[in-house]
Amino acid sequence: MTVKVEKIEGGIPHTTIMVAGLIASVVCIYLTYINVLTGTQLFSFFGGLGTVAALVWGSHTIKHLCSYGIGTGVPSAGMIAFGSGVIAMLFATKYGIAAPVVAVVLAAVIGLILGYVANNVLNMRIPVMIQSLVEMAIIGALVLMGYAAMMTGSFEFTSLTTGNVVILGLSLPSYQASFLGGALIATAFMLGAIAIQHPFNACLGPNWTQDRMLMLAAECGFLSMITAAVMSMPLIQMSAALVSLFVAIIGWFYTYSKYIELSQRDAAAWLDSKPIPEVEGQ
Amino acid sequence: MSAVAAKPTAGSAVDMTAMIIGLIILLLVIAATYFVFGSGLAFMALIGIIIGGVLIGFGVHFVPVGGAPAAMGQAPGIATGVAMLAAGAGLAGLFGGAWAAQTTDNLYVIVITGAVGGGLMMAITCMFVTFIYVFGMGIPCASGKVLKDPITGDTQPEFKSQGTEGHGLPFVSYVGGVIGGLFGGAGGTLIYLMLLDLYKEELPGMMNALPGQVLPIAVTLAGMFAIGMFLVNAVLAAYNITGTIEGPHDPKFKRFPRAIVASAVASAVCGIVAIMIVAL
Repeated sequence: MTVKVEKIEGGIPHTTIMVAGLIASVVCIYLTYINVLTGTQLFSFFGGLGTVAALVWGSHTIKHLCSYGIGTGVPSAGMIAFGSGVIAMLFATKYGIAAPVVAVVLAAVIGLILGYVANNVLNMRIPVMIQSLVEMAIIGALVLMGYAAMMTGSFEFTSLTTGNVVILGLSLPSYQASFLGGALIATAFMLGAIAIQHPFNACLGPNWTQDRMLMLAAECGFLSMITAAVMSMPLIQMSAALVSLFVAIIGWFYTYSKYIELSQRDAAAWLDSKPIPEVEGQ
Repeated sequence: MSAVAAKPTAGSAVDMTAMIIGLIILLLVIAATYFVFGSGLAFMALIGIIIGGVLIGFGVHFVPVGGAPAAMGQAPGIATGVAMLAAGAGLAGLFGGAWAAQTTDNLYVIVITGAVGGGLMMAITCMFVTFIYVFGMGIPCASGKVLKDPITGDTQPEFKSQGTEGHGLPFVSYVGGVIGGLFGGAGGTLIYLMLLDLYKEELPGMMNALPGQVLPIAVTLAGMFAIGMFLVNAVLAAYNITGTIEGPHDPKFKRFPRAIVASAVASAVCGIVAIMIVAL
């Protein structure tokens, strides 16, 4: 049995994954707004589901970009995604209910300029470079906004910067016990950046299969969501944090067992990967 | 198109049209900042961010990035990617600079402390990498790109194994790594400091709070933006050298003018967004 390298072009088309990821992520982040409408914080877990959708999309974008051999390693793609995404996301939080849409638009603009710079000024000349960097910046912004919504129950600047500290039964406002003031965003940054680059880094190679990589991406997303749920405990009601944790553990367990199943399916096959067609660095 | 056949064609050629368009974007962003916010703190912050970004982009060219071939002893340099090295040196520099910013207001002291932090991190990394190469993997340090080490004058080819591009960490690469760390640390700290000054000034009015109360927010915002811009600039510089470089003596080093334009444009675009969060 021989498998051609072109096999990696098969599976669900990239455009479908992109549209589905974008819509699912934005809708999930908006669903956390039910918190404001109903006056509870129980719907914060939708933010985490939004990050999983964006991370699945992001891992496929990285595959799309890195199959051209950019030479800098897969993790660098995750880093530039979140480096440009965090800037768009923090600015967008000022716009209240419009924040997720503003984040998407602004991230697209930043990504477009970075993509132009990388492709033309730096002379990379990779056909998908500009589109990929636009997608990456949007993904970075949406994932961070998803974690923000999950940990604080809202995606607005005021609630990201203001928290409550209970001292002797008295609830006092505090800027330090918040998503930004407590620098939880730094942890969210790394949780997302590692989750986005790991799936392709782990699954690349001649026996790459799309469903296995996307399942691993969902697994990484839920694993990060478990951590984010634990980190949300000081910021939102304990019941809401436990709901998030419960959803994350269920999702993680399901995707993990599916991923192991798919790995076993792929590992049983013998693949003729052929000698390397050309020498690296020439 | 098969994925393996489609290698990036990034050569050392300079695309003049794209460079000029890049410079126009840069000037537009600077002009927009000047007209919207005046010549006050916000404008100075943007200039500082651009200088910091250029320092980072330039500094990455000095760092001997070996990547996966270096881990197998087939190419010189530190055996990891730019993103990891830059994040290490940049964050070490930021910690140094942020610590200095708590104790003094002197710009030069803070930026130099940040540079020392980044340089120290690279020096320690390079030293232990060399220990592992020499005593762990049993390979001598030899460059594949030059016949003589430009600093010590030691000849290289007789130590180089056949079929490799050199291996280990030659002295000039070590020095390059430390210089790169100094530039990276200084650039990251400059971005952090400029944004911190701006946020400390503007946030109390924006949030109706005392300066002491919003300090954690100002520090986090400035730190996150500094990390974000650091990673963007480092990855763009990594694209410029297509992943690996031996150090300042490598022919790829001559590509740095492109990276300076790219870093300036990227920093300006990211910088104006970071400024607008408080000033708009």
